[in-house]
Amino acid sequence: MVHTSSTDHIAAIYRFCAQSMQYPDPSWLTNDYFSSLYGLLDALGGDNEKDNLKSTLASAKDYLEDLQVEHTRLFINGMPHVVAPPYGSVYLEKSLQGKYAEDVLVYYRSQGYALSENADLPDNLTHQLEFLSFLAEDKNQKAEEEFLSRFFLPWYTTFSKLVKKESQHPFYHVIISIIDFFTKEEKEYGVQLNEA
Amino acid sequence: MAFNLTRRKFLQSASLAAVALPLSKAVASESGIKRSPHESKGSLKEETVVGGICEMCFWRCQLVGKKRDDRLVKIEGNPKSVDNGSSICARGNAGIKLLYDPDRLKYPLKNVGERGNPKWKRISWKEALDECGGKLKAVQDKYGSQSISVFPHGSTAKYPMHFFERTVGTPNVSEASFFQCRGIRDTAYLATIGKAPGEKVDMPNAKVIFLLGGHFGENVHVSHVKSYIKGLQNGAKLVVVDPRYSASAAKSDIWVQIKPGTDTAFLLAIMNYLIKNKKHAEDFIDEYGDGFEEFAAGIKEWTLEKAAKECDVPVAQIKEVADLLAANAPSVSIHPGRHVSWYGNDFQRQRSLACLTGVLGAYYVKGGWVPAIGPKVGKTSWEHKEHEEEHNLNLNSDEELIYPYTPPGTPTELIRDAALTGKPYPIKGCVIWGQNPIQTIPGQEKMKKVLKQMDFVMCVDVMPTDVTMWADILLPEVSYLERYDYIKTGTQWDFAEEHQQYISARMPLAAPMFERKDQVYITNEIAIRMGYEKDIPVKSVEEMVDKNLKVAGLSLAQLKKEEGIHIREGKNPYNIPEDFEVVFYNEDLEDDGFPGVPTYIPVEQPPAGFARLLYGRVPVHTFNRTQNNVWLNKAMPSNPVWLNDELAGKMGLADGDEVGFINQEGVKSRTTTIVKTTPGIRKDSVYMGHGYGSANPLMSVGVNAGVDDTSLITKITVDPETGAHGMRNNFVKFIKDGKVIDIPSAA
Repeated sequence: MVHTSSTDHIAAIYRFCAQSMQYPDPSWLTNDYFSSLYGLLDALGGDNEKDNLKSTLASAKDYLEDLQVEHTRLFINGMPHVVAPPYGSVYLEKSLQGKYAEDVLVYYRSQGYALSENADLPDNLTHQLEFLSFLAEDKNQKAEEEFLSRFFLPWYTTFSKLVKKESQHPFYHVIISIIDFFTKEEKEYGVQLNEA
Repeated sequence: MAFNLTRRKFLQSASLAAVALPLSKAVASESGIKRSPHESKGSLKEETVVGGICEMCFWRCQLVGKKRDDRLVKIEGNPKSVDNGSSICARGNAGIKLLYDPDRLKYPLKNVGERGNPKWKRISWKEALDECGGKLKAVQDKYGSQSISVFPHGSTAKYPMHFFERTVGTPNVSEASFFQCRGIRDTAYLATIGKAPGEKVDMPNAKVIFLLGGHFGENVHVSHVKSYIKGLQNGAKLVVVDPRYSASAAKSDIWVQIKPGTDTAFLLAIMNYLIKNKKHAEDFIDEYGDGFEEFAAGIKEWTLEKAAKECDVPVAQIKEVADLLAANAPSVSIHPGRHVSWYGNDFQRQRSLACLTGVLGAYYVKGGWVPAIGPKVGKTSWEHKEHEEEHNLNLNSDEELIYPYTPPGTPTELIRDAALTGKPYPIKGCVIWGQNPIQTIPGQEKMKKVLKQMDFVMCVDVMPTDVTMWADILLPEVSYLERYDYIKTGTQWDFAEEHQQYISARMPLAAPMFERKDQVYITNEIAIRMGYEKDIPVKSVEEMVDKNLKVAGLSLAQLKKEEGIHIREGKNPYNIPEDFEVVFYNEDLEDDGFPGVPTYIPVEQPPAGFARLLYGRVPVHTFNRTQNNVWLNKAMPSNPVWLNDELAGKMGLADGDEVGFINQEGVKSRTTTIVKTTPGIRKDSVYMGHGYGSANPLMSVGVNAGVDDTSLITKITVDPETGAHGMRNNFVKFIKDGKVIDIPSAA
């Protein structure tokens, strides 16, 4: 995909956020990835966050394992218990695969999208961000706003608070703050189309 | 963290493009969402899926699932079932909440922290299996196959258990269902009638139903409860022997509020009274009995008066029960029980129950003990290989069995003692599959020490139960709603109805989520890594089920066509086999150094200030495996402790007071529960539901909810004939607001 417009840039940011919530793996946690992340933090004025993250990663004995342990603890199974499963139904219905997951899937379909074969559950955070990325790419501002307000923010707000409170590694604090930045204020400011 | 600009400003800034372009390059091309412009719009497809078999408990009711797209939304009984029919219990309904429990294990995990205080890291299946196979092989190479111990439970655990037992060749397998549950019953009946009894009493057609500790209604197995209720509807009298006013006691005609541990004395007195008064089934005993005279002579000391004193029950009541049984014999259901590992004198009690059934002539008759004749299916698994007997921990130095009447496997204590002493050989590998030995086996601290000294511990489970905290590698298994495996066979439960047999095989009602795998895949992959590839009996669990169904002329495809259940003509179960006999006096037992005639062995009584801790089932939980289920937790979030109301008054306790416990060895409960005051419990005992108070914070619903009774069962008694545990020989005082309160009845 060739990004030319502002919405394409937003699409890229959504996809980047989605990628960042995947299980930490050397296939994507590359030097390119980190330099892109640091570039984004620079642009957002997150100098302190960048420095903190950089020094944590640099001082780690095995930074990848640290991230994997933290991802497992926060999002899969962890001590004292999984902090924040990244599925909307968990916050809205205290269960995976609640009615909410079905509603999200129906919404994807209503916009001409479906889950890929190896996808996670429909209400997974990564998939919701990927879907938002597609909507931005389609310049479907109405659907993007509707999806954010009807489906995404009602659970993400709680999720985000939990992760920020419980996270023991600056990486997830940073990523969640970036997702906050690009989704939470959406309602207030609206999707910005390229005015040029 | 808050960034120092607004989103609006940022998106308008010139830096957006400069930032976004590299971002897009750092992103993988694959995505979980794809464009699908022709996707059907609107609501999702609804369908009914057949072939489910429940495993919220081991009774395994037949199910159908209601689905919307891939999402299972409701579980119901299979209307074609002649077993549970369209009924399922609260736990069966709540299976959905297990399936979709956010706390469930999802991916293979590696413990990069320490055992008991784990730090989990998600790893790939390849890495997990390499680790399991490699580490178990290393244990085997260093110490021998016998050094691997296995703690299995449930239908998925059979296949791996057979691999380790039959192919790898370790005898050190301890199944909780035997050594902490029903094994004593099975071997006691085997020593009396040559068969394990199951719960095969013809209650619908009985004139009297006799329950010793059975508490149906709190203990719910759907078709069994139906059969019990049908018997009561048909006019059966109900005798319930229980220190507590259980749900069954509440329906009883006679409630015998017996002193715990004295049941055998009670049974011996009934039998002695019946024989002395010629109320026994003389013709039946003449034809099928063996050693009756020795038996009659051996129990003659047990007068009603003697038993009344021992059991703290009125003479008249024992006589009333005996007369009621005799008057209605042989149509009496003497229930063999199920969880019978109570006091460490249990083999003798179970022998007594089997003998009482014989004294009344109540085998293979309407209303008596009647084994249904079910259909045959295959039992595909790992083949038995030749293994030396020398590593059997159950053999003494003279090569005689220490516990001659042990159920299959090795008694748990023998395995644990070998692990802790290294004698006669070390136990250094541990495979835990569906069992939670921390909350199942008495002596938690001992179990922890056993696990700590292992070279390698692996657990396979659906939930992060307490024992999983001690694993090095933790593997996520598909649940019963997501897999093929178990073949359930049987007959209609009321033998007065047309005789029918059924065959059903478990089929998934929902696709497995995340990276959960089934037992055949996991076991085979470990087997390959341990060098046993050529011994693998089946490539997939579907192949295993199909092979087993083929024996009955069926297949999974055929079963699907038949709504998940194949029904065929059945057989009359009442014909007594020609070679059937009831061994009242068992010479072999005597040769082995045990009483040949059922014998009462008194148990220790509570010391001053303590009461005996009794535990049992609640209708919405199955042991500890359901404790994290959000619906079931809501239905019964805690396990109140039953305390005699008069005592409560003296102790200054009232309903709803929050209390903890301290046992006779000074072990305190980690958590508290509430008091339920009632006249329905003896003064020498307190009671609580089993399966509460998980210590694992990964169980976010069940953690610290109520009190874990097993944590207070620190004194370990072992049944001398079987090596199985006795779990009701521990005593407690209460703790309220940090103060220990004596229980005055025993003072």
